[in-house]
Amino acid sequence: MFKRAFWIFLAVLVIFLWAKHDPSPTPGSNRIEAPDPAALSILATSDLRDAEPLAGLIQQATGVKVQFFFGGTMESADKVINGKAGADAAWFANAKYVLSDPRGRSQVKLQDKIMFSPLVIGVSQSEAQKLGWTGDTKVTWRAIAEAAKAGRLRYAMNNPASSNQGFMALMGVAAAFADKPEALTLADIRKQPIRDFLVGYKLVGDNSSYLTAKFIEQQGAAVNAFINYESWLLSLNRSGKLREPLTLIYPYEGVATADYPLLLLNDAKRADYVKVVDYLKGPEAQRWLAENTLRRPFNPDVAGQVAKLFPTGQLLVELPFTADRAVADALLAAYMNEYRIPIASVFVLDTSGSMAEAGRGKSLIESLYFLAGADDSPTGRLTRLAGREQVMLLPFSSEIYPPVRFDIPADDQARATVFADIRRYADRLKMGGATRLYDATLAALKLLAGEKEKRPGYMYSVVLFTDGESNTGLDWAGFQQAYTQLPRLAQEIPVFTILYGEGNVRELEKVAELTHGKTFDARQVNLATVFKEIRAYQ
Amino acid sequence: MNKKWGLMATLLFAVALAGTMIYSVIEVNRGSQLRTLKGFINLNVEAFFKDPRVQQILADHRFKVDVTRIGSRDMAAKVSTAPGAAQFFIPSGVLVAQMIKEAAKKLNLTATTYNPFYSPLVVASWEPVAQILVANGLAVKSGDRVYDLDLGKLIELMFQKKRWNELREHQNYDVTRSVLVATTDPRTASSGAMYLALVSQSLNNNEVVTDRETARKLAGRIAELFTRQGFKENYVNSVFDDYLSIGMGKVPLGLLYEYQPVSHAMAKKAFPAEAVLLYPKPTLFGKEVFVALNEDTKELGELLSTNPELQRIAVEYGFRGTNSTLFKEMTGQVGFAVKEIVVDVVDPPASEIMDEMITVVTDAMK
Repeated sequence: MFKRAFWIFLAVLVIFLWAKHDPSPTPGSNRIEAPDPAALSILATSDLRDAEPLAGLIQQATGVKVQFFFGGTMESADKVINGKAGADAAWFANAKYVLSDPRGRSQVKLQDKIMFSPLVIGVSQSEAQKLGWTGDTKVTWRAIAEAAKAGRLRYAMNNPASSNQGFMALMGVAAAFADKPEALTLADIRKQPIRDFLVGYKLVGDNSSYLTAKFIEQQGAAVNAFINYESWLLSLNRSGKLREPLTLIYPYEGVATADYPLLLLNDAKRADYVKVVDYLKGPEAQRWLAENTLRRPFNPDVAGQVAKLFPTGQLLVELPFTADRAVADALLAAYMNEYRIPIASVFVLDTSGSMAEAGRGKSLIESLYFLAGADDSPTGRLTRLAGREQVMLLPFSSEIYPPVRFDIPADDQARATVFADIRRYADRLKMGGATRLYDATLAALKLLAGEKEKRPGYMYSVVLFTDGESNTGLDWAGFQQAYTQLPRLAQEIPVFTILYGEGNVRELEKVAELTHGKTFDARQVNLATVFKEIRAYQ
Repeated sequence: MNKKWGLMATLLFAVALAGTMIYSVIEVNRGSQLRTLKGFINLNVEAFFKDPRVQQILADHRFKVDVTRIGSRDMAAKVSTAPGAAQFFIPSGVLVAQMIKEAAKKLNLTATTYNPFYSPLVVASWEPVAQILVANGLAVKSGDRVYDLDLGKLIELMFQKKRWNELREHQNYDVTRSVLVATTDPRTASSGAMYLALVSQSLNNNEVVTDRETARKLAGRIAELFTRQGFKENYVNSVFDDYLSIGMGKVPLGLLYEYQPVSHAMAKKAFPAEAVLLYPKPTLFGKEVFVALNEDTKELGELLSTNPELQRIAVEYGFRGTNSTLFKEMTGQVGFAVKEIVVDVVDPPASEIMDEMITVVTDAMK
């Protein structure tokens, strides 16, 4: 009797855990699924993955089959603007960029906002109390920037150069400190407060799931705040995985709000689109979204019913969004080249014999070219090496070659010269020999730790690229052993590993795990794209 | 006895059968005479046409209406003589209606216009915000949850770039944002263009702008009331969504059509606490103009304007129709002291003057 109950309990538990399991998707990668011409295909940004189960509900209620495809924020926006979305509709956290562009406006046939969530700052409860940010206290952006500068606010945030959230937060600070609060022009942007604010930017990434895993690990001395949508932070508090809950701060001057418009791109699917929007704004879907994703409903009836899920008494003051793309681009360029904590990294590059195979060497050289400014696409511009950055290339095969260091100048012209040097260097890489992987990785960590001691004001990381597995020098066990002997400074440096060719998946994952880095898979996609993706985590 | 009843039953059955058959034949005939009319309508009247009661009344008059919602400013380009083209349009505003008429004229089509319903422009706001406006001499309470707004003074304040927290008695709305009215994008949406028209008249000593030079000069000044808003929505229902759901923090003042808050209040029998309506003085009417391109659609335009039941349903959707007392009666219970008659109503400038102003504002918005 008890035995049977136990088994049932276990089965339920397994199903429950399985259902809760979050596969933590790779950012930027589309789901591999053939498009169904009868379906309403929707290009959505990856932060909407949590809404994907709606597809089933939509079909049940309206008979319209909906197929989601996911993409990165900036890249998806560019696709829509250029008429290359390849989907009947698009669903983004916001469409202000797309709709500010006349080409974007001409692509969008109908639009309707589905739900909303303000971008807010979650601060560890104890820290919020120490800062006096409790109850009805007015917390200004100035106070936030000051706390960041003083080292009291150490936050995780998605990279402004590649994600909508990070970008909106940056715009928020820029707008709050400008002399006039709206229609920001370049002349209005005050640099110092933005720099102060960015001093607190300690945990960088381009994927909220990744940041969350790191945040859970490091909450406390290393990081004590998280900038993200209210919905994400409420879900995090609800998950019970945090060391202490986050107090949500709604800055006094205002916040940016995501309002999730669904945009019709293909006029032939108008009837389906209208049905889907009617359903999404109806009580069932709005309630589902509020309860499961903690985004606020637009439907006023549902808003009343689910009010208890959301903090009350907060006036959601909206910061005006600068529709001027030139200002946005300039702000991002300044972020990368002037404001942000500069990157210092070592690229550990496998130049063993197998790299001579079938264009592998060529892919590597192309990736280095892209880093050195050869990619002029919008994403290329935001992922190339930036002013003040310090980069070292450390090639290895049977032996470890001497590292070559490039200091990237802030000045555009001088930067172009250094970029040319990097490309020349890349052209001269010779492929041949064995794979001394672990010794090279260890050398990179030691090298950077030495730099870090001299110059702590950088964001340090190692990028490890290999197409095979270690076959000379240290093995995994030896590396692990040697790693524990490294100074603390070296152990604080994450290693971002790239899976490529016949790379040893398990070992590379273990390296990333040991060093608190992340593994990126370049086996199915263009290597240069993966290099670009890594840039958002550095 | 039994036999007699049996005969009666058989007879009754036969009569019933014949009746059903005749009835269905009539039905089929009626059905075959339904005239399908294709039209492009704007968002404002979409809910009205979707209403099954409206469809039934139209069917009773042997109309089947096949409508597609598009933006008013996209309509003129859809005028065509091709088979299957739209036979009528319902744009929002007389300006776009004029553009459609001109497009029709070029194709030798006769366009006839009707004005079945309209809705004045209002500024939706909130009690704490309205009280600041009253304290600063910009508004006067004129009824339950309703205020008169001195548009001239508000425009002056906006040009001074005043922030809410710089005004007298702002403690209940202590916000650093500038005082601005949230509007739609005048390049794409009628209500945004109407705001431009309204402000131009106010700045022109309350005279309609009639010459290009003045139009250019004024639009150059007015442009900042749009650019300073930052991103602007392309549909007026998005402004209403923000007003209703995100609330006072995002939309302290939102330019809407009166039908939006009124229809919401009528449907829900309630309105959010502290929501108020400001009637700007002067204001403009947003007219839902029916443009008919043939005899059948002329008949439809006539029907929409005169059928009492259709007019009554239109009021449920918040519109004012040809009978102003009906509007007052039906909106009596919504909690707003909506005005039976809106005074101080102006006409927008001629369409070429409007085009000129929109061009100037578009250039300023880049």
